[in-house]
Amino acid sequence: MSDRQIQIVLDSLWPLLRAGVLYTIPLTLISFVLGLILAIIAAVIRLYAWKPLQAVAQFYVWIIRGTPLLVQLFIVFYGLPSIGVTLDPLPSAIIGFSLSVGAYGSEIVRASIQSIPKGQWEAAYSIGMTRLQALRRIILPQAARVSVPPLGNSFISLVKDTSLAASILYLEMFRKGQEIVARTYEPLLIYCEVAVIYLAFSTVLSALQHMAERRLGRSSAA
Amino acid sequence: MIQVRGLHKAFGEQQVLGGIGLELPKGKVLVIIGPSGSGKTTLLRCLNLLEIPDQGSLRIGGVSLQFQSGARPSAREVLSLRKQTGMVFQSFNLFPHMTALGNVVEAQVTVQKKSKAEARRRALELLEKVGLADKARSYPHNLSGGQQQRVAIARAMALDPEVLLFDEPTSALDPELVGEVLKVIKQLASEGMTMVIVTHLMKFAAEVADQVVLMDKGVIVEEGTPEEVFQHPKSERAVQFLNMLAD
Ligand SMILES: Nc1ncnc2c1ncn2[C@@H]1O[C@H](COP(=O)(O)OP(=O)(O)O)[C@@H](O)[C@H]1O
Ligand SMILES: [Mg+2]
Repeated sequence: MSDRQIQIVLDSLWPLLRAGVLYTIPLTLISFVLGLILAIIAAVIRLYAWKPLQAVAQFYVWIIRGTPLLVQLFIVFYGLPSIGVTLDPLPSAIIGFSLSVGAYGSEIVRASIQSIPKGQWEAAYSIGMTRLQALRRIILPQAARVSVPPLGNSFISLVKDTSLAASILYLEMFRKGQEIVARTYEPLLIYCEVAVIYLAFSTVLSALQHMAERRLGRSSAA
Repeated sequence: MIQVRGLHKAFGEQQVLGGIGLELPKGKVLVIIGPSGSGKTTLLRCLNLLEIPDQGSLRIGGVSLQFQSGARPSAREVLSLRKQTGMVFQSFNLFPHMTALGNVVEAQVTVQKKSKAEARRRALELLEKVGLADKARSYPHNLSGGQQQRVAIARAMALDPEVLLFDEPTSALDPELVGEVLKVIKQLASEGMTMVIVTHLMKFAAEVADQVVLMDKGVIVEEGTPEEVFQHPKSERAVQFLNMLAD
């Protein structure tokens, strides 16, 4: 590497990190939290709600899981303006990613709920709980523990997937990288640098995930 | 008190309860014995409506319900009957994400809407009663089977039910842990708790029961005092069953 290239890499480190911390991470967190709420609602609906409502939830999961995330983002950002709904890049991205987390997450949450032994429901009923009380107080807290590892994986995927938001003009870390490339004509260097920062984020998150799992494992070993 | 009349229950084609009638005055203990598959668990589960009977009637405490196939009782009716009963399961079924105390507090707060402080006070009393006040902060997976089952008894009593139902409460326990659970049940009996107990332990049954019924193939084939059923059984089926247990 020439001195010039080393300088470029060093100079772009801070702007990239800044975009990561200010835009990639908030987008990830907001989309994940909203997606998780959607996932729990969709899972509970698919398991227990009135049949037509179940069909609606199933339809939602089918659509989201069966189409590319990039296409969904394009529909929201570039497509909706044709019917008068014009959204900024950030809300468009949040909608797209939340819907995605909600659909994939609902499968995880549903499987976790179903993995809780029938005896837990019966014990809850036997002390006079309604179905909703049993679900809220007894089943969901246990299902939450079961779903921590797979949801942790979804979260790490989401951090990386937010780079797709670059294509709808959201100035997160990858788009920042593209800007720097346009200025410096060093695609290999800059994109590798971007990759290394994503790798660092994922690695830290994986470590946190393992810690969380170990902690849960200790307090809930049956 | 409990009154059961003409209780029928089928699973698909299989008739599991073929017209059960029972009467148990307040403060008495009924022990149900019978071979495996005779419908004992199903009968207990019908008493707290974990299974809905197809036909017959049920009265526990002040609540009575009639059953007809095809007509499910309303959720409110189910709950009001359930609150008259406490159930102790063979496999404990404690809530693993809550401490022993949390398990006993839960229904009082969520179902009865008692204040946390009041519920904790009552829960500690109950844990004291089953000899586990010092384990209040332990999670189920840190308790022995015998301790877990005693917490489960405390949990079942938390809403002050009219009757406690026990489904083979010691059969999932290591032999050395059986005694501590039986001791608690005997103590409750001496305090006048109304109980229905399914068990295979004949000596315990003879000690604790005011009435014994022997079930076979979904019907009651023998009933009476422990003395009558164990010493002077009238039916051929009872003689066979008691001989088999004696072996
Ligand atoms: N949920 C169920 N679905 C179908 N069959 C059942 C169900 N529960 C129990 N049975 C059947 O009912 C019969 C009585 O079972 P149970 O009440 O558990 O007997 P016991 O407790 O006396 O061993 C058995 O033949 C069992 O297979
Ligand atoms: Mg049984």
